[in-house]
Amino acid sequence: MGRQSPPRNGVGVHDFDAKKKRKVAEIYRALNSDPIDVATLRRMAISEGGLLTNEIRCKVWPKLLSVNTDDLPPLPARKELREDSKDYQQVLLDVRRSLRRFPPGMPDDQREGLQEDLIDIILHVLKCNPQLHYYQGYHDIVVTVLLVVGDRLATALVEKLSTHHLRDFMDPTMDNTKHILNYLMLIIDQVNPEVHDFMQSAEVGTIFALSWLITWFGHVLSDLQHVVRLYDFFLACHPLMPIYFAAVIVLHREQEVLDCECDMASVHHLLSQIPQDLPYESLISKAGDLFVQFPPSELAKEAAQAAQAERTAASTFKDFELASVQQRPDTVLRQRFRERLRGEERLRGEERTKTILTKPRTNRFVKLAVMGLTVALGAAALAVVKSALEWAPKFELQIFP
Amino acid sequence: MAAGDVESSLELSLTGSGALPGGLPPARSRIFKIIVIGDSNVGKTCLTYRFCAGRFPQRTEATIGVDFRERAVTIDGERIKIQLWDTAGQERFRKSMVQHYYRNVHAVVFVYDMTNIASFHSLPSWIEECKQHLLASDIPRILVGNKCDLRNAIQVPTDLAQKFADTHSMPLFETSAKNPNDNDHVEAIFMTLAHKLKSHKPLMLSQPPDHDEIHIKPEPKAITSCWC
Repeated sequence: MGRQSPPRNGVGVHDFDAKKKRKVAEIYRALNSDPIDVATLRRMAISEGGLLTNEIRCKVWPKLLSVNTDDLPPLPARKELREDSKDYQQVLLDVRRSLRRFPPGMPDDQREGLQEDLIDIILHVLKCNPQLHYYQGYHDIVVTVLLVVGDRLATALVEKLSTHHLRDFMDPTMDNTKHILNYLMLIIDQVNPEVHDFMQSAEVGTIFALSWLITWFGHVLSDLQHVVRLYDFFLACHPLMPIYFAAVIVLHREQEVLDCECDMASVHHLLSQIPQDLPYESLISKAGDLFVQFPPSELAKEAAQAAQAERTAASTFKDFELASVQQRPDTVLRQRFRERLRGEERLRGEERTKTILTKPRTNRFVKLAVMGLTVALGAAALAVVKSALEWAPKFELQIFP
Repeated sequence: MAAGDVESSLELSLTGSGALPGGLPPARSRIFKIIVIGDSNVGKTCLTYRFCAGRFPQRTEATIGVDFRERAVTIDGERIKIQLWDTAGQERFRKSMVQHYYRNVHAVVFVYDMTNIASFHSLPSWIEECKQHLLASDIPRILVGNKCDLRNAIQVPTDLAQKFADTHSMPLFETSAKNPNDNDHVEAIFMTLAHKLKSHKPLMLSQPPDHDEIHIKPEPKAITSCWC
């Protein structure tokens, strides 16, 4: 179900195959060059179709994570691992219940073997990194890596992922995770303030996206091929990319959201049911666009300003009123500002009171125009995404120091 | 597909209940919001699914964050929506995550696993947690021991659970979300709660403080023995 198939007519299929062949060739060229051309590999992982096959993923994923595959450590003894672990019971419960993660039709004994491996990998990483804490959903990520690259390599990749991309989710508390989830609303606000405000008034919160974020969508998408395609993308990008992708999914469904009853239950229900037939490739491209237009640093600034504005709301409002009066003593206009009416009036207002408004949104419309352009032109979109690579994981960098 | 499977009960109950876009809002049915809490793997998802979809789900996974299920029922001729908020059991999710969903809750269902004494011993911390989140101390709460069909594995004796329930002025129900011969029991538990909510919270405002702990006149009796 929901497989992204190439166009049905003969020519389309031919084109697709030719394109795919070219891409495979380019990937191998990058792999074989000395030194390995990691930038090209990242670009391949992001661009249409991602890394195409699991065989290629086994070769490229380690490069994206700077994992040396030559001296993989041996797997530790199972018994010892389980006896020592305080997390064993919880991990066991979660892994036993994760049947849906395995391809349908896989023989039971094979699946059971993989489940045992899954438990070992998780416990091993936790044991070697006592600063990391297990969370329900971590197993959804590990199983995806395991199914693609096998247990030996999975252990090394997962360890690297856990100390970098997933690090914030593995804190003693979920506070940083909650902080990252806040970016979701900030991004939505930048692109479609109407949707943002609707969700705010519904008080829907952001927990509907929690499992998306902390499992990289492994928990909610039932087709493994879709999941690994997203993993290609996320492994090649900044650790915050999954939250941009989450925002893109909400924005993709903006009409449904706005048509929904404006209450917590209805909106939570709508959004937590993720459609299985999403147009993954175009959403990936949009997420890349948004990342470039509203990089995390910018959003963080915005968030800080919003917080600051909240703290100083009363005085700011006074200044604001004063400014309005001085520039155009028009009570109607002031009234409109108070109601924070959007549209032309508001834009004009923003030009004058940019520095005072609680949430400056000066460039939104310009930025949207750029987005339209890049989405329409695949090549341009890619170029933009490529520039996102400057943000690619600097492994020493903590997102929230 | 299992994901859709677990949630499919919702689609039925949600359609037709919303306001028509652009039209006048329909006479809204009252909503009872019930939060279901307890340790990991005690069966919160199965219980809520059983009530909302009428059957035991084929397979469930760990709940991450909060899931939501809903069912419309008719009580004394009034249509009422029962919303069940099914929460993650792992401790780390409770602190900063689930909090938001305690808002405007009308009732709480505490669940433990009768075959797992540790899940029973966690109850005081769940009760404490609940106190911290809920402003009104007098909202109805019930205690549900799940998995009573696993007779040979029972670790929590009924008298122990009953004593605990009495101490905390909660009715106790022992049940099994799974047992197929026991079709109405899970249903009856939630309906009992709904009846209580209906009779004591006509305007969905918090109860005046002079209401002392009122014991349910239970439709199914708050039981001391397993119904399976």
